[in-house]
Amino acid sequence: MKDIIAHGDNINVLLARYGVKFGIYKNGTFHEQLFPFDPIPRVIPAEDFDYLERGLRQRVDALNQFLADIYSQKRIIADGVIPEDFVFSSSGYLPECEGIMPPAGIFSHISGIDLVQAKDGTWYVLEDNLRIPSGASYPLIARELSRKASPRAFREHAVRDNRNYADMLRETMDNVNLGGINVILTPGRYNAAFFEHSYLAEKTNSVLAMPNDLFVQDCKLYYRDDHGSKQRVGAVYRRQSDEFLDPCTFRSDSLIGVPNLMAAYRAGNVAIINAPGNGVADDKGIYYFVPKMIRYYLGEEPILHNAPTYLPMYPEDKQIVLENLERLVVKDVAEAGGYGVVFGNKMTGQELADWRALIEREPRRFIAQEVIDFRDLDIIDEGKQVPRKADLRAFVLSGAETRVWASGLTRFSRNPDSFIVNSSQGGGFKDTWVLSR
Amino acid sequence: MGTISLEKRDSLFWLGRYTERVYTTLKAFYDYYDQMIDRQADLYKKLCERLDIPNIYESDADFIHRFLFDKNDPNSIFTSLNRSYDNGIMLRDEITSDSLAYIQISLDIYAASSHSDVPTMALLPVQDYLLAFWASIDDNVLDQRCRSIIKCGRYLERLDLFLRLGFPTPDIERALCKMTPRLRQSGIAYDEEVLDSLYARVRESMLHTPGWRHECARSLMTLITE
Repeated sequence: MKDIIAHGDNINVLLARYGVKFGIYKNGTFHEQLFPFDPIPRVIPAEDFDYLERGLRQRVDALNQFLADIYSQKRIIADGVIPEDFVFSSSGYLPECEGIMPPAGIFSHISGIDLVQAKDGTWYVLEDNLRIPSGASYPLIARELSRKASPRAFREHAVRDNRNYADMLRETMDNVNLGGINVILTPGRYNAAFFEHSYLAEKTNSVLAMPNDLFVQDCKLYYRDDHGSKQRVGAVYRRQSDEFLDPCTFRSDSLIGVPNLMAAYRAGNVAIINAPGNGVADDKGIYYFVPKMIRYYLGEEPILHNAPTYLPMYPEDKQIVLENLERLVVKDVAEAGGYGVVFGNKMTGQELADWRALIEREPRRFIAQEVIDFRDLDIIDEGKQVPRKADLRAFVLSGAETRVWASGLTRFSRNPDSFIVNSSQGGGFKDTWVLSR
Repeated sequence: MGTISLEKRDSLFWLGRYTERVYTTLKAFYDYYDQMIDRQADLYKKLCERLDIPNIYESDADFIHRFLFDKNDPNSIFTSLNRSYDNGIMLRDEITSDSLAYIQISLDIYAASSHSDVPTMALLPVQDYLLAFWASIDDNVLDQRCRSIIKCGRYLERLDLFLRLGFPTPDIERALCKMTPRLRQSGIAYDEEVLDSLYARVRESMLHTPGWRHECARSLMTLITE
């Protein structure tokens, strides 16, 4: 491990060379920033990964069944497992997707499941990301460059190779491709994750398409080439939000959508990866019900734990939240990227009172969770090894079978007092080593 | 690759043009800079004239700094390198991460050089990396048409600059000969008559026809027809 730490600066030089950046808007202006990389990897022993793998596959399979059910028969509602209004009041539920069964019945092809490990070693799922989870490209390229900078570290440790992500992604796209090329649809260069879009296009040998490159004709999606000829698109891995995807179906003011894409999708002529409407399953409120989904759809006990969560929309939960706010973390279900997260123990007396009033007024808008004192990981900060909070985004790809990538994005907070690890809020990332023995 | 959109074709073409503009303009700058050291401090005015850019510079020192490093000057070399990057970043899947990395390194070195006591020395590696970029394009870009588009941009820019900067006729003819097959393979619409007239003029030049460079540069502007 000392070897790779010694080469940390070299790895960051290589990451800069390859333009491993993310975009961020500050005061309305776009900036590109390097994503700080820490050379000390998160190491997951083989037996831990076996456990995570089983739990993640189970969780994502159940979530996919939930999505298929919600947009068709809604058995889980009819059977009283999840309250109806809870599903339909979710901003992620899209009535426009009712009755559409995507190719192979897969809704969430690429799932990013955020986990933390508590100090006692227990893993907890913090969030499911089933819309357009980003981040796989960073550990992918970091591994490639780390092996160049510090080959000895990899010779001395039995680390599972993670460089198969592009192949896994390609197979996932091919599995649902309905005839034609695979494209990765990016909103453009000024998207925060543009590096990832272009890098994955290169590595999967897909076409990186801008919205204007695509058009729908006779309910089929085509890519327009430079001579005006068209090429059929069989699968589109879209990296933009549902609401901007098709101005004829969703937001009519979207300039980055493809008109009538949903018509082609509904007609069964193109696969959209991930399926529109998945937001209903990764709503921070629906998260509460995932263990129930697993029992309902799979008839199994959940392998992975949820963080203890309260839904203020239930009177008994609201009571607990209001009485214990100072030790809970409150999350706005509509926010993402680390925004809309407040910790009770950081609030003044007045702020606590204000938040209690807000939760009383809008109980559906929030969830509250026990703060998990998750395990710190060491990072190198100004030459010293110091502990920082870190999470893990595991990537689960659903194709012919559900597979967990033997790696993941480990994000850490650079601020010693913070639990927020998001890159948009100054966090960095690490490689995630899964040991083979 | 096989299929590219109109936007990507434009980006490939302009990536070639801007990258060549940086390389050749830097070379020209070094030449003029050398002469400005001990002979003609205001020789930069002639360079501006030849490049057909406005002389907005207050002195030779102002020119040296701003022409090299001012990112707000649309005619600075730094601006051209940024435009090269802007086009390149859209093309990672066509030109590969390895090729794009050379533009990124050039840009990083260029930006860091603005603080150097001797920027002309600090900038030398930029030319090395730009040459490495072209080698990487040859090595890594398998699609022939894609290579032809970017090289069409490269040689068209080179031809334009050689004409403007008064390069010797054999250099100009060589640039024209390098551009022609790339143009034909690129799929970009062009005017065959203009191309023929370019060849004719370059060959007339050997007979010392007055004003032929100017005529060629003007013709070149009408070569691409879309």
